Amino acid sequence: MDAITRIKQLGMPRKNDELWTFFPVAKIPAPEFPDVCACEEDFSGETDFAALLPVAQNARTMVQNIADGSEEMALLKCNNDFGRTVLNVGKGAKASFEILDNKVAHSVSAERFDINVGEGADVEIFFANPANDLPLTFRHFRITQAAGSQVRFSSIERGNGISRVSIDDFLQGPGAHFEVRTLNMLGGTAESHHRLHIYHESPETTSTQLSRNLLDGNSRASYDGSVIVGANCTKALSGQLVNTILLSEDASVSVKPVLKIYHDDVECTHGNTVGELDAEQMFYLVSRGIPKETAKKMLMESFAKETFYPLPDTPAKKRLLQTLENV
Amino acid sequence: MLSIKNLKASIEDGTQILKGINLEVKPGEVHAIMGPNGSGKSTLSKVIMGHPAYKVDDGSVELDGKNLLEMEICDRANSGLFISTQYPTEIPGVNNVEFLKMALNSKRAYLGQPEIGDDEFKKLIDEKMTLLEMDERYRDRGVNDGYSGGEKKRNEILQMAILDPRVSFLDETDSGLDIDALRIVANGINHIMSPEKAVILVTHYQRLLDYIKPTYVHVLRHGKIILSGGPELALKLEEQGYDWIEEK
Repeated sequence: MDAITRIKQLGMPRKNDELWTFFPVAKIPAPEFPDVCACEEDFSGETDFAALLPVAQNARTMVQNIADGSEEMALLKCNNDFGRTVLNVGKGAKASFEILDNKVAHSVSAERFDINVGEGADVEIFFANPANDLPLTFRHFRITQAAGSQVRFSSIERGNGISRVSIDDFLQGPGAHFEVRTLNMLGGTAESHHRLHIYHESPETTSTQLSRNLLDGNSRASYDGSVIVGANCTKALSGQLVNTILLSEDASVSVKPVLKIYHDDVECTHGNTVGELDAEQMFYLVSRGIPKETAKKMLMESFAKETFYPLPDTPAKKRLLQTLENV
Repeated sequence: MLSIKNLKASIEDGTQILKGINLEVKPGEVHAIMGPNGSGKSTLSKVIMGHPAYKVDDGSVELDGKNLLEMEICDRANSGLFISTQYPTEIPGVNNVEFLKMALNSKRAYLGQPEIGDDEFKKLIDEKMTLLEMDERYRDRGVNDGYSGGEKKRNEILQMAILDPRVSFLDETDSGLDIDALRIVANGINHIMSPEKAVILVTHYQRLLDYIKPTYVHVLRHGKIILSGGPELALKLEEQGYDWIEEK
């Protein structure tokens, strides 16, 4: 079944669709589709409207193959409203991909990334969106990981529009590791929504998710993270943590952790904290003579930077921390 | 210098912790405050600095004639008050050295002085870290982040040395220190101390007072100073505890 047929079959996202629970679905304009789908792939199993949208719009596809054992650092730039990128990373390769913002999008932009990671490969994918006024942005990632591979996904969202990032990660080989670090720094009426499905399909696979939110004004964030551990996945390890600081009474966050575990010998955790800036830390800083507003800024910056401190010293870490210096 | 008169303070549920503290601290003096757990010693330093968990019910606190209780917390610090709490707060993500520089420049701005230059600050921090025998790890870490109890106390004295306050209120600075660290920290305090400054030490043990000679020793109990004396009082408390005071 091609993408156009499938997306028409699914229909527009609805509030009662569990993939779209927290998203303002009424704000998605009904798209028009071409008569013929240029992509012949079978999408009958795809359930996410945002994953299908660029393909169903016959988006231009960029394919990049990273050879076994090579090192690659690339900028991925989407210049159209709809785009698709396919990355095939060879065995033992090291790759760093920065996704640049689509600045020419109109009412809606949707990008899809298919990332296939070979055995023992090490991949980082990151973006640090500048503040912009893109009204509605979808980014979907479908990642497959072979044995012993590592993928680190890191992002900073600080736009003024509504964005949704959806990730389906398949840990297919033993020892594969997937790591997600997201930071939302939002104000005004901005919204950022994350929807993740992490499938542990092999033994000794690991995943960690850290999502942090600094929300001001009337902004909204949501984190809908599911971890699915298969029947034969002994020693699978998964952790999810969402930390939010609400800087105004009108800002809000919604969090939905889901664990579907079909094996006994696994360790899966999830946690969620929501609060204001730490009063004791504020007191400590001002009791050293630092003015309250400066102290508040220091604490927000430290909260944000902590999201990325555990990353290895790679281009992603440098770029993300550098971005936070200038915010 | 520091004048505390009839200071009464309570916590949110209305329980009064400080029930009329009177204390006069003059330049060059070292005051030791001793007392059983829960007597209000730690509360005193926090109330003077303006911790939001406490409400001042009555009394006054003046530093060099200025009413501290009417000032913002940062202004109290920049006027020359320094407090070190029993359990220094950890602030991961805020670099220790950058924090120190920010604090020093805040004080300089308050006093109408220009920001310290990078070279001058480096020289200053190098000198103070050498004095306190602190290793390089302190530079790159977050404020008190992952420090041991002793490391935190040493870092507090580093801050005191950099900020050069008029009055330092040090709450159980000796707790968590091994014998060598106690000597180093005490030497640091003695080095920072001068005839224009004053130190108030809260401690449970005589051992700190072997290194830092107090001018006066006070006993705080049930939110009040119930007895004051010279250094010999600390020795007597070490030997006999506190019960004899109430019996007396």
